[in-house]
Amino acid sequence: MSVRRKGPKATAIRVATYVLLVCVAVVVVFPFAVAVTTAFKRNTDIFTYPPSLVPKKEATIPAADVGLEGDPVPVYSFPDRDDRPGQWALVDGDASLAEFRPLDDLERVIVLDVKAGEKTGETISIDGEEEDVYLVDDGGAQVEAYRSRLTSGGLFVSVDDPSTSVLDLVNFATPAREFGPRFSNFTEVLAEKDPETNGKGVGRSLTNTVLVTILVVLGQIITSILGGYAFARVQFKGRSTIFLMYLGSVMIPFVVLIIPLFQLMLQVNWRDNLVALIIPFAFTAYGTFLMRQFFLGIPAEIEEAALLDGASRSTILWKVMVPLARPAIATLATFGFLYAWNSFFWPLVIINSGNPDNAVLSLTLSTLGGRSSTDTNLVFAGTVLAMTPPILVFLFAQRYFVENSASSGLK
Amino acid sequence: MGLRDRGPRTPRVAVDTGVQLVTAWHLVGVAAGIVSMLLASRSGDDALPAVIKLFMQVFSIAVTVAHLAAAYGTFRRMRRARTVSLVTNYLLFVVSGSALLHQLGAFTGIGKFGTGLNKAFLPFMVIVVGLLWVLVAGQLLSKNPLAAGPNGLRRAGWGLAALASVWFVIAADPSGMLSMIGDRITQPLTLGTLAVALCSGAATRFMWQRRVAVRFGTSAAEEQTLSGLAFLSPNLIGFTFFFAGPLLFSLVVSFFEWKTTGTGRSFVGIDNYVRALSLDISSSDVANAGNEVLKPGYQVLMHLDWFGQNWVLGARDVEFWISLRNIAIFLVLAVPASVLPALVLSSILASRLPGMKVFRAIYFIPSVAGVIGVAIIWGQLFQSTVGWINYLILRAGEILPFVDPPAEGHPWVSSNSTALLSMVVVFAWMNFGFNTVLYLAGHQSIPKELYEAADIDGANVWQVFRRITVPQLRNTTFYVLITTSILALQLFDIVWILSTPEPGGPNNATTTPVLALYEEAFQGNNQGYASALAWVLFLIIFGFTFAQFRQQKDGATSGGVS
Repeated sequence: MSVRRKGPKATAIRVATYVLLVCVAVVVVFPFAVAVTTAFKRNTDIFTYPPSLVPKKEATIPAADVGLEGDPVPVYSFPDRDDRPGQWALVDGDASLAEFRPLDDLERVIVLDVKAGEKTGETISIDGEEEDVYLVDDGGAQVEAYRSRLTSGGLFVSVDDPSTSVLDLVNFATPAREFGPRFSNFTEVLAEKDPETNGKGVGRSLTNTVLVTILVVLGQIITSILGGYAFARVQFKGRSTIFLMYLGSVMIPFVVLIIPLFQLMLQVNWRDNLVALIIPFAFTAYGTFLMRQFFLGIPAEIEEAALLDGASRSTILWKVMVPLARPAIATLATFGFLYAWNSFFWPLVIINSGNPDNAVLSLTLSTLGGRSSTDTNLVFAGTVLAMTPPILVFLFAQRYFVENSASSGLK
Repeated sequence: MGLRDRGPRTPRVAVDTGVQLVTAWHLVGVAAGIVSMLLASRSGDDALPAVIKLFMQVFSIAVTVAHLAAAYGTFRRMRRARTVSLVTNYLLFVVSGSALLHQLGAFTGIGKFGTGLNKAFLPFMVIVVGLLWVLVAGQLLSKNPLAAGPNGLRRAGWGLAALASVWFVIAADPSGMLSMIGDRITQPLTLGTLAVALCSGAATRFMWQRRVAVRFGTSAAEEQTLSGLAFLSPNLIGFTFFFAGPLLFSLVVSFFEWKTTGTGRSFVGIDNYVRALSLDISSSDVANAGNEVLKPGYQVLMHLDWFGQNWVLGARDVEFWISLRNIAIFLVLAVPASVLPALVLSSILASRLPGMKVFRAIYFIPSVAGVIGVAIIWGQLFQSTVGWINYLILRAGEILPFVDPPAEGHPWVSSNSTALLSMVVVFAWMNFGFNTVLYLAGHQSIPKELYEAADIDGANVWQVFRRITVPQLRNTTFYVLITTSILALQLFDIVWILSTPEPGGPNNATTTPVLALYEEAFQGNNQGYASALAWVLFLIIFGFTFAQFRQQKDGATSGGVS
């Protein structure tokens, strides 16, 4: 395009181009950023408004900072009497307090120590009850008020200046929050399924997924190499017919096969077993084409030389062709990995007993993160764990992947 | 290169003695085939489903006939007999070998192996890393793929894997598995299968030898066919059992009323298809008339108001028709939403400005991340009270005058009007990057001269895009549209996770054909009817695929389809 031009107009176009690209990149990356940060959050932290990308915990300061001993002291944030925002450490959560309401504004509450205020001797009738009138301190000014309630509350000390203290009701104050990732989300979600420890059994699903993925990829590589070689290099009767059938098979959507495959698995008693996720998927028409294409591109002279040398076809295949075909095998392995790792529909159909020992990641996540989801933070920790391997594989195998998804239309 | 066959040395059995043994073995096979034929056709054995019984009968007859032919042929040293004997023995070896593994619990044992693996995951990963290192070491340090690579480094990888294997075995504790195999292998049926597997395997191995081929006078072409089929066989067997067979079975089942369990299966002809596709239309005097104005068995699909007259459109399977309507709407929205951005972005990425590969990689990530995780993330983004989407719309409303955010957070996925739209957003987000890469391949085939000429003529960016890029990418666009449509027609996973309060909700606003199929087959246990739905869906998809094949055949394929 016209990007090679120079001049201010071209520069403007170039800047606009990058702005567009970055905007789209933000749209792509942002949901992942939400996922990763949510995976480190506390569950209460997820459901606060406004949403935030920073995992937070309730703030504390060491007890020694406010002249106490023992556990760290929780910090709350609320404005002081002069409406300046401040951070307050709760040094005594069970102080005796009294709520006063000024006579000129009965809606307002002044929280003071239970011993504060002086009786003026007068009384006032509130809702039919006679109440004593007190003279209380309200931010320096003395106001007339009645004591509406005795309660217990908190004695707060300013974090910045420990000599300043206020009394307030604890449930009126909002806990201050500070950066605090929760790493145990990951250990909890991986732990064995157990309502007591809140373990979600994702660890077991992860091993199952790894096992299934490795075996599917190995199976696909072996069958595709053999089949691809036969189609590319061996002249045999019926080859073109069989190849045409393979080509046609690509047109059949998997939904058509779901029910008969399910029936087949029932007959051989493979339902609810990992083998049902492996054996039927160790054969791939796509992979066979991929290997065939590659073998067709290898010069025949190499093979002929080895044949003259007295080598058998299988020796040639494994010792000569396969080492040359590494890029194609890498492509095949990448596709097989992503397919097996991410597949969901078939596991949903065939592994449905709810027994966590047989589940794979996608299935466990769909159960955990589905409609009756609790512990959203753990669900996201699991999601991040499930997404990381395919993304890493993609990033490392990009070369094979991007080039070949374009040239073979694999999906 | 000295690539000689260095297989294990076979005992040099004299060819004729060996062939006589094989003939004898085939005669045993004939006898066994007749016995199993009788067993399979024995009446009163209701434990076996009819299909399996039929399969066993056909299989026994085939085995008997094949053995008979092979026995006669090998006895007479007929030229074709070697091929017949090889094919028979090889297939028998595969079947009996699989049966043996089945009896030993090797297949279902994979599930149990998962338990051991779970206990010993760390050593397992060390093994994997070690083996990967062996694979990669040579390539990393040497450009020549044929070179063996530095042997020390490879040996280190092997050593690591070996040590970790010992650790793995200790950690995984396979004693339970071994004792189970020990128990099972001593059972008579298992021993019999083992004997069949061993005999057919040995016979195959013997007959495969070149000196036997010479003795039978096998032609070079025949030898080629045998070795071709041998190479293809693992693939072909899988293809037959897990693709072609099931495909046929699916078609058969779609003409039956079929339950998972043996009872309640009956042939119903094309009834399943009729039921799925039946529509009835009727005029009515009142708006919103109910089912009573339709034929019995039909339910109201929608109300229409044509030329001042109220019409009621009814269907026998309302949910399926609703799902067809939903998927049509979805297709119309989601396909352009995932293709148009790809067209524009690929045109920029094709320009070879610095950093384009980074953007390409970023855009591609959603399509590899796994649909379940993606759907879970978007579920949180769409959340009505604390979700980012509503929050960002609210903030945008503060800055931009034309954005009018609703007072309360909009419930994206649980509102009838926006549920399907939410699915469109997720689908487009997942797929536009993949389409961008498909388009990039198309860009490579646009002649550079066109752009140079446009540059000289002083065309602006829009003109170049409109007059050169878009027309030149016509074939790619067609290909991308078709593949995306085929993907969109099979929408299931996103809906399964995101829709509330039940899959396909609210009020069937997000029901899709695949979801309807799933519910019929696995929740309603109507597998025959669900198969018919699958074939209806296949025919719709096939329309798209066929269009693509026509296009590929007609035009030059700049769609990058090789």
